[in-house]
Amino acid sequence: MSLESELRSERVSHLRLSGFTAVPAGTSVRDALGRMRSERNTVCLITKERSLTGIFTERDVLRKVVDVADVLDGPIDAVMTADPISVGPDASAASALGLMDKHHIRNLPVVDASGQVVGSMTHMAVIEWLAAHYPVEVLNRPYDPERFPRKAEGG
Amino acid sequence: MSETLTNEITLTRKDFVSDQTVRWCPGCGDYSILAQVQRVMPELGVEKEKIVFISGIGCSSRFPYYMDTYGIHSIHGRAPTLATGLAIANPDLNIWVVTGDGDGLSIGGNHLIHALRRNVNMKIILFNNRIYGLTKGQASPTSRVGKVTKSTPMGTIESPVNPISLALAAEATFVARSIDSNPQHLAEVLSKAAAHKGTAFVEVYQNCVIFNPDEWNALSDRTNRDEVTLNLEHGMPLIFGKDKDKGIRMRGFTPEVVSLADVSLDEILVHDATSKPLASILGSMENPEYPAPMGVIRDVRKPTYAAGIMEQIAQAKAKRGVGDLNKLYRNDDLWTVSAREENQSEMAGELPLTLDEEYLDELGRAAVETTPVQDQLTEENVSALNPKVPITVDAGSSLSRAIRQMNRHNIGCLIVTDEEDRLSGIFTERDVLMRVTGLVDDLAHAAIGDYMTPNPIALKADPPIAQALHLMSLHGFRHLPLVDEENRPTGVISFRDVVEYLNRSLA
Repeated sequence: MSLESELRSERVSHLRLSGFTAVPAGTSVRDALGRMRSERNTVCLITKERSLTGIFTERDVLRKVVDVADVLDGPIDAVMTADPISVGPDASAASALGLMDKHHIRNLPVVDASGQVVGSMTHMAVIEWLAAHYPVEVLNRPYDPERFPRKAEGG
Repeated sequence: MSETLTNEITLTRKDFVSDQTVRWCPGCGDYSILAQVQRVMPELGVEKEKIVFISGIGCSSRFPYYMDTYGIHSIHGRAPTLATGLAIANPDLNIWVVTGDGDGLSIGGNHLIHALRRNVNMKIILFNNRIYGLTKGQASPTSRVGKVTKSTPMGTIESPVNPISLALAAEATFVARSIDSNPQHLAEVLSKAAAHKGTAFVEVYQNCVIFNPDEWNALSDRTNRDEVTLNLEHGMPLIFGKDKDKGIRMRGFTPEVVSLADVSLDEILVHDATSKPLASILGSMENPEYPAPMGVIRDVRKPTYAAGIMEQIAQAKAKRGVGDLNKLYRNDDLWTVSAREENQSEMAGELPLTLDEEYLDELGRAAVETTPVQDQLTEENVSALNPKVPITVDAGSSLSRAIRQMNRHNIGCLIVTDEEDRLSGIFTERDVLMRVTGLVDDLAHAAIGDYMTPNPIALKADPPIAQALHLMSLHGFRHLPLVDEENRPTGVISFRDVVEYLNRSLA
């Protein structure tokens, strides 16, 4: 079984999705950043009348905000990516990963049938899934792989 | 700004890792528990010097060696007893007892019960693998009826102890359960236990990869675990299932599993961690008949043992004055013990270099088929991911220069080096968001050294991909620097590299 085939049977909603900060369109970049910091999220989703209209991530902060003049007090709409690609919670995890790969995106908002955003999928969701799926290989490791016992103690 | 950042005393997992070689079998669930404890410790905000780990005897009891805190590897089953003494002698300490199903429930069963009922301020983690591991595979007090082991060749005929029910019967004020293979859940439960004042009892289902490797298969399997575990949250309905489509309701005095499609949400039990009867019901629900309850089953406040004793001491002193311990000691019945010549110690000696036969037998028998993904995780090394050449800057570089560089190379992570080109920090786009943007007015006059994460965890000597995955899943790291023997950066990998590599190479 490849990773892809293993992830095919998992739905996006079965993964541990990342949290996100939600702000209405028109919010200032400064306020959005403040919210992201206090909520410790690296993704901000922008909504208009409860539907998703844009996404603003840490990469946007680096590329479009941090050393660019006069952006901070402007609306987030100016620096967000409009109409982001999203998936439904019932989409297979494999197809969601394929979508991220194809479009070179690192945050994939997950939106349910009623238009409610339930989370954001990142590669970390797959990393965590793999870790829990293969605990003997991944989780149960010593801190320093170079210091391994020469003889097992007891069992 | 830079001053407040550098003055913060922040510990990391690294600070809690001791210099001892961990001697558990490769793949043992204890590694996962150790990693989670080391990860949760820094979040407690307690100085290392105020933390003590106390254990008895068993595989789990090697735990204190691996924590860079105070530790006592004590007497079989008696860790709660030593911990009780310590908690009274110094109520400021943060005391953790590490025990197992043998040490805690058989040899030290009574010590455990009495520590729990006294509500001594300590946290007890009981690693439950339902087998004696250190003595190579005999039935333990939690082994299931019919379990064939070396001491029960025809299957054990003894009913197992239910650790949660036992703790509740002993009036424990905090009772919880988690499992080694769900690190996020385990970390949450450990944090909640740490915050409890009084005895916190945490049972952790733990995989003995050699002598009882299949015990928790059903509960560990990532694709199925949500179907067979019930995650408890205070105030929330008891709903479970991969698609959250099942719930628990009461039928008379018995809980039953119902489909949410058939019953209304009002009928579903709501978790209340302060309710003792509900705790008893949850404690009695055993898998596979029911989903295994995971999380905090009971959490109530009661006065702690040390507080009660201190109060009585104060009362006694007020009434009878301060006593004289010396006078009490020297009262009567004194004799002198004279020194004897010491024998040469026969303890020293080299460890044998080979694995012993019994262990190898078990290893050979446990030849389980692995999937290609598993093989890749353990057999391929991180160099196969084609690590990117690290873009490095020195710690004195300005933020404006660093940010320009990140944008020029279109990367989210800079490696910061010292005068001798050794790794000294990491600076990522997350730092740009969390610490810089809108917070630092003059980027040209701020040094990256004040905003980076110093001494980051790095990968040395091309370890298996599983090691990178381990660190990423455990810490949420999205970038890992690779370094050579002299701690000079040689590459950097991202979580995206790992996932895309595994996905592509197996397609």
